[in-house]
Amino acid sequence: MTIVFQPKPSRPAPSNVVGPAAWLRQNLFKDIPNTLMTILGLYIAVTVVGWVLNWAVFNAVWDADNRRECLDMVGRSGACWPGVAKWLPNMIYGLYPKDQVWRINLGFLALIVWMIPLWMGGVKSKVAIGLSAVLLYPFLASYFFLGGSKGVVWSALIALGLSGFVWVWATAICERVTGLSVGEWIGRRFAGATEDVKQKRVRQIAALLLFLVCYGVVSQWSLPGVRTQLWGGLFLTLVISGIGITFSLPAGILLALGRRSNMPVISLLSTLFIELFRSVPLITILFMFNTMLPLFLPEGTSVNQLVRAIVAVCLFAAAYMAEVIRGGLQAIPKGQYEAAASLGLGYWQTTTQVIMPQALKIMIPTIVGNFIGLFKDTTLVSIIGLFDLMNMARAVGEDSDWLGLFIEPFFVVSLIYFVFCFAMSSYSIGLERKLSAGRDR
Amino acid sequence: MAITDSRSSTSPPERSGLAKAFFDARIRSIVFQILTLAGVIGFFWWLVDNTITNLAARSLSAGFGFLDVSAGFGIGFTLISYTEGDTYLRVFAVGILNTLLVAVVSIVFATILGLLVGLARLSTNWIISGVARAYVELLRNTPLLLQIIAWYFGVFNLLPRPRDSVVLVEGFMLNNRGFYMPGPVPQDGWGLVVAAFVLALIGAITLYKYEEARRDRTGKSFPAISSGIAMVILVPMVVFLATGSPMEWTMPVLQGFNLVGGISVPPSFCALIVALSAYTSCFIAEIVRSGIQSVGKGQLEAAGALNLPANWTLRRVVLPQAMRVIIPPLISQYLNVTKNSSLAIAIGFPDLVSVWMNTSLNQSGRAIPIVAMTMAFYCIVSLSVSLVMNRYNRSVQLKER
Repeated sequence: MTIVFQPKPSRPAPSNVVGPAAWLRQNLFKDIPNTLMTILGLYIAVTVVGWVLNWAVFNAVWDADNRRECLDMVGRSGACWPGVAKWLPNMIYGLYPKDQVWRINLGFLALIVWMIPLWMGGVKSKVAIGLSAVLLYPFLASYFFLGGSKGVVWSALIALGLSGFVWVWATAICERVTGLSVGEWIGRRFAGATEDVKQKRVRQIAALLLFLVCYGVVSQWSLPGVRTQLWGGLFLTLVISGIGITFSLPAGILLALGRRSNMPVISLLSTLFIELFRSVPLITILFMFNTMLPLFLPEGTSVNQLVRAIVAVCLFAAAYMAEVIRGGLQAIPKGQYEAAASLGLGYWQTTTQVIMPQALKIMIPTIVGNFIGLFKDTTLVSIIGLFDLMNMARAVGEDSDWLGLFIEPFFVVSLIYFVFCFAMSSYSIGLERKLSAGRDR
Repeated sequence: MAITDSRSSTSPPERSGLAKAFFDARIRSIVFQILTLAGVIGFFWWLVDNTITNLAARSLSAGFGFLDVSAGFGIGFTLISYTEGDTYLRVFAVGILNTLLVAVVSIVFATILGLLVGLARLSTNWIISGVARAYVELLRNTPLLLQIIAWYFGVFNLLPRPRDSVVLVEGFMLNNRGFYMPGPVPQDGWGLVVAAFVLALIGAITLYKYEEARRDRTGKSFPAISSGIAMVILVPMVVFLATGSPMEWTMPVLQGFNLVGGISVPPSFCALIVALSAYTSCFIAEIVRSGIQSVGKGQLEAAGALNLPANWTLRRVVLPQAMRVIIPPLISQYLNVTKNSSLAIAIGFPDLVSVWMNTSLNQSGRAIPIVAMTMAFYCIVSLSVSLVMNRYNRSVQLKER
């Protein structure tokens, strides 16, 4: 007869270490100093939150025609929201003509729709879709935002943007449904399963057709031009930081590779550029480009102020990104280079297939941190006179109806910045966890 | 036959001289470098050429001759005496000193605040660490410029008039003209106190070095740090009392519509310091937290196994290892404070960028020398700091065998 070992079920933990009461005791009231700290912390939290709620909600004025009325009603003890509400469209779109604002909305909606396939399951060409968003979307967006007359080349570029959009969604749907890339699917559908040359020709014809149709569509569009002087608010902030972010990553990668290169001239030039731009404040670079770009360019060329600011932001961001990437490159062990060399990979193959994917992966939190910094730094363009989100908020207090109304618009703008930055940093933490899941086993 | 065939197929194909050179990595690299250099030089040549033409067209000059010309504008807050008739060079000096003052004061406050918040975030008390986390997340996710402007327009500009000043402590007052505090006026014999302080400091450092050497030699210990601190405080105090307290204070007093006497700083300075310190303290808190968390648990257990007392564990085990992680990013935060102090221009505090790159540039029109001098100042500061940093890093790096 066999005796099978039957373990007794484990006894529950003692009642004084589980449950909410134990948690409170352990975390908040362990000993006397700890209890005092808890009380102090609670006091601070309750006071601050209570004060903010009182000011922003309970004591606030929601309906008034000017600041005088607000002050008469509650004085300074409550917020005066009507002023902010009246200025909110300006704080988001700047002075963009009101009947054209749909173009901004459509432009950003297009970007979101463009990126959706990146989060869809079953889509394989995510890198190509991401690249297309970086390389082709700007043509489409710039026409939406700028408008005005367009020549043949300009139209062709916009058509390229539109066809990129169509291609992204064709790819996404095709890969999800059939598991084949859209080119393969068209090739098989119209040229049979095997013939390689014929398939290729079919694919080329399809691409050409797509482009021609898009060109036809684009040439029918005519949007009135909107001068960049009218751009402002959150829209301008997003444009400047978006361009800065998309430029800084590739430029930073090149600069970092340049700095680590064993060609002395390249390494020296990259180092000089990086150190110069990193050691001076952004505001001096903005000032420099603002005052000196007209001197540097040939006589008679005038550069738009927005372009000057964007150039300054891009170069500044690239120098910072370069140091981040370099940190990632330095963390790659030498064995990786040797392994790549022993497989016979050349410089570019080693860099793009072996080193960069690993370096970028380790640096994701820092890279996103840099993006957040850049997004916050775009507020500096207000100093050289562009009406970004922050400058618009400041303008509220200079409106004759709302004279002196500063805290309320700043509060709203801080919330907007906080939501954007906090979302970015939370997303990066999530991404980091997802990517490191395979590594830290 | 077969053998010779395979050999000939693996040997590199015969190429002419030019093609050979093209595929030679060394030659390719040299050619590439020469082309890049030529491109960069050409680009700068083009810039300089354009600039010279433009300057000539606007009849401007790029020289430094304007530096000893009278600037002719006033500056609201200066550390050295300055009048409207002084030269541009003096304006430059005033700007540099104001920038450095803002940087140093903010660094001191930000470090203290950051250390406190960082330790609070490490607390096992859920409420305390939660409050600290909220502070950090709120402040570091909003732009610094916004914070500076909000402090200036939302707080320091709305303070009462000098007549109804907010009195913090006797002699320390806040109003919409700025912050006022008692000013020290050294009397005869103050030099002796300073000399005593310097001597005591040197003595304390020597004592510490001696104690360290003796402990290494004999193993006997002696409380050098606490006795050193006592020396640095007590000796100057004794001299101060012995020479009959050679220091008097001038109090700010209301005279007409304004406070007179003592030391005063404008509201823009207060807003700048508060905003910069609060903003930077978040980053410092995170640096402190990650530094202390980076010391492995095993280190603490090992110290416990050796039965080291708690303050030794902290001083000899945790801090030296945490410092290695903390110091480099901390210094780069200090550099950031120095650079961020340039945002003073938004609220009209006369720092280097505001007084030099803005006012002086607009007045004199000498864009090139002024921009070059400003950039040179910031470059010198950060390059010299990073030079010191690199030496420090080399000295604390783990010595790997």
